[in-house]
This record gives sequence, C-alpha cells and structure tokens, in this order.
Amino acid sequence: MARTKGYPAALDKKLQDTKLYLDDSNPEFTKNVKAISRTNAHMCYQCGTCTGSCPSAPRSSYRIRLFMRRAVLGLENEALTDPDLWLCTTCYSCADRCPRDIIPTDVIMSMRNLAFKRDIIPVNFLKTVQAIYSSGHGVPNNDVNRAAREKIGLSRDPPTTHMFPEYIKGIQKILDHYKLKANADRIVKEREG
Amino acid sequence: MSESGAKHKFAFYLGCIAPNRYPGVESASIKAMKKLGVELVPLKGASCCPAPGAFGSIDLNVFYAMAARNLVLAEQMKMDIALVCNGCYKSIWEVNHKLKHNKDLRDGVNEVLKEIDMEYKGTINVYHTAELLYNDKFIGVAKVRDSVTNPLTGARIAVHYGCHLTKPHKDREFEKEIMLNTEHPVWMEELVAALGATPVEYRNKMQCCGAGGGVRGYDIVHALDIANEKLINIKEAGADALTDICPFCQLQFDRGQIEIQEKFGVSYNLPVLHFAELLGLAQGMSPQDLGLDLHGISCESFLQKVL
Repeated sequence: MARTKGYPAALDKKLQDTKLYLDDSNPEFTKNVKAISRTNAHMCYQCGTCTGSCPSAPRSSYRIRLFMRRAVLGLENEALTDPDLWLCTTCYSCADRCPRDIIPTDVIMSMRNLAFKRDIIPVNFLKTVQAIYSSGHGVPNNDVNRAAREKIGLSRDPPTTHMFPEYIKGIQKILDHYKLKANADRIVKEREG
Repeated sequence: MSESGAKHKFAFYLGCIAPNRYPGVESASIKAMKKLGVELVPLKGASCCPAPGAFGSIDLNVFYAMAARNLVLAEQMKMDIALVCNGCYKSIWEVNHKLKHNKDLRDGVNEVLKEIDMEYKGTINVYHTAELLYNDKFIGVAKVRDSVTNPLTGARIAVHYGCHLTKPHKDREFEKEIMLNTEHPVWMEELVAALGATPVEYRNKMQCCGAGGGVRGYDIVHALDIANEKLINIKEAGADALTDICPFCQLQFDRGQIEIQEKFGVSYNLPVLHFAELLGLAQGMSPQDLGLDLHGISCESFLQKVL
C-alpha cells in the first residue's frame, strides 16, 4: 500500500475502490435507467462537467456525477434512497455541457420514476397530482385572482378546465389508467395520516 | 395589414401560473400580439401542461399522455400552439417532438387517449410567444420596435431566460439558430432594447431560478438560495427590473423575494415582469390593465421611471 503510506487508517480505507465489488449492484437498474431516460449513461467518463454546471451542487451534497456512476454500476438502492435525488432543478445545464452528449438530467428523471415505483417520492409531487385530478390545474385559480381577472377585462375563470369542467373527466381517466391518483392518495395518507 | 386582420393565428395555451397568478401576462399577450398581427385563440378545455418537474419525476408515461391531451385539443382546432411559459414549453413542445419522432411512445399514448376518444396525430407545431416575437417569420424585433408607443427609456432591465425554452439545446429546433446559444444568448436583450429600455448584463445570467424539478416544493430554502444568488448578481449590475419569459420563474423571483426576506433577512425590492407585461406597458397599456398590483414586489419604482 505504498500509495497511501502514512495516511490514517480511515482515509486509507476511503481511498480504496470497494464499490465495484458490492453485492447490491443490479445490472437491471442500469438497463431500466437507459430504457426510461433514452440517453446513454454508460458513455459517462466521470469528468464532472455536470456537477460543475449544477446550481444545486454548491449548496448541497447533491452530486450528479455520483448519480451517473450509480447508474453505470447498477447501484440501485444507493441511488433511489438518496434524498439528494430530489434536488435536481432540471435546468439541463449539465446536458448542454456534457462532452459525451449524455443528458444527465434525464438519468435523474428516470431514477425518480424508478423510485416512485417503490413509493419513494416527496409528497409535494403527489399533491400536484391531486390538484390536477380535481381541477385540471397544478396551480388552481382563487377568489383574489378571479376578482383581478375581472378587473382587467378577462373572464373570472380562464377558458381552461376551470371554465369548462366537463374536460376534467378525460384527465381523470388518463390518471386513473395509470392508477396515479389512487397511489398518490395512498402514499399521502400513509405519510400524513 | 390592418390591425384586425391577423396574419397568424395560434391556439393560446395558458398553463396554470399565468392565468391563475399573473393574469396580466394573459391579457397583455393577447392584446400585444394582436397589435403585431398575431391572433391568440383560446384553447378550450386545456389543463396543466402537466408540470414537468412533478409529473416527469413520477411517471414519464403519464407526463406524455397528459401533455398529448392538450396537444390533441389544438390538433382538433387545426392550429399551432402559442404559449407563454418555459415550463409549459418543456411539456407541450417536447412531448410533441418526442411523440412525432418515436412510434413506440406515440402508440403508448394513443392507447390511453383512445379511452377518452382522442388520438394524437402529430399535425401541429408548438411555439413560445418570445420565439414568435423574435422570429422575423412571425413578427421580428423591428416590428416589435415599431409597435412601441411608450418607450421604456431610461430603465435598466436584466433578463432571466430560464431553462426549458432552450435547454437541452441538442433537442431543440428553432428557426433562428441564435436562440440555441445557451451559454450567453442576447436575443432577449435585443427585444428589451426594442422596447426602448437598456438591457443589463449580469454575472451567471443563465443560471436556473431554482424552482424547477419540484425543488421549490421539496426544499424551499434550497430553491430560494439559488434565486438569491441570481438576485445578488442582478442587483450588483444595477438593474431597475428583471424580465422573464416564464411565469414559474416569475413566481420564484417575485413571491420568492418575500420568502427570501422572511427566511434570509435580505430584501431586494426588484420588480419582476414577464416580457409580455413589459411589451404591454411599452404599447401603452396601463399598470392597472396589466394587474401589476398582483405582483408580490411592487413595480412602482420601475413604473415611475418609464411612465
């Protein structure tokens, strides 16, 4: 161990690459990420341009390069249970700068899709689903805004599902097809009672 | 061309935050575009795009199907879509693009749409109004300049481009190549200058507002910290106002400044206006017509400079 000679034992251990030999590497995870993201994470050579471009990186422990590695090595549990997975603002700066022409943001999105299949999801995402199920809008109208709309010569409700609620049924059918509302209700109830 | 005879017609896709939080964006877009020969026709029964951060994260298949429903509504009107929000652009434009080019996705979506007697055909295109304003094929900077009756002279305005109109640029298709520069674009500055105002450059202009991807709902302090960094840079450059082309970014910077005051104890009092609102002002609409009193941060200091 000449390379780490004189280092404290803890650092010496840290410097050793143990990840490759972990039992929880799941090759299916790599394939699933590729299928959902439609981008080639395995082309990543870990240059770190993505993390360097990331607005979330300087203010958290979120490192998109790490998630890229997890995608390639099939480290499913490590990726999906990391709360940092939800700190990507999807700004796509990493995608525009990636020298390997990968879209790392879409790798994150695919991992979030896979996390949701295991009920791993922040509740605010589900509340947007519930709002859309009942009104068609993620950010619905309110009385203050209705009055303001009227004052500036607009209809009190916009000509969307708000003015034509008969269209909401179609939206509910789409969401029910994927059982999204039922799952959202169940998970929100489990978390918030 | 007479003022009433519109040269171009689009189905106007509203989204959520513009009509339900900043209705001035809706009315200004309709009126200002009409003066420029573009008629925006209501897209009856449209819903949330759906929110690309929330829905894209949960299940991309639902995201595709929900966006496709909005696209089909416009297909039935035989009209291209125009919209005012970068987030909506990501959902509506990108899903349209993906469905047109991927048969497997299109078949999957149509299987679901069949349940509500709809079919996605891929017959229309999707445009952001900022794109229509900049592109000579539709309007162009010169015509925007000619339509100004109340030039915003003396106002120093910083531009926030937002992310999802132009990024990821390898997937976008603009008629004007200039719009694909996502490192240091200046086309919005050209539009701001056309209104008589002075565009202001600032550090790290292309940084995200921090709200997207569900982060604003998941970790508000984290999201605000990103917006705060931009606000510091914009204030340093001496801007009188910030303009955006995305109501969600606008919410993050406008209402966000109040939250930043509460959480971080700093205030900027920087007015934040959608470009449609600026255009409305420059074409002679009053602040009352634009509902500017609904903004979290008072636009008074800025209005005193330009009115």
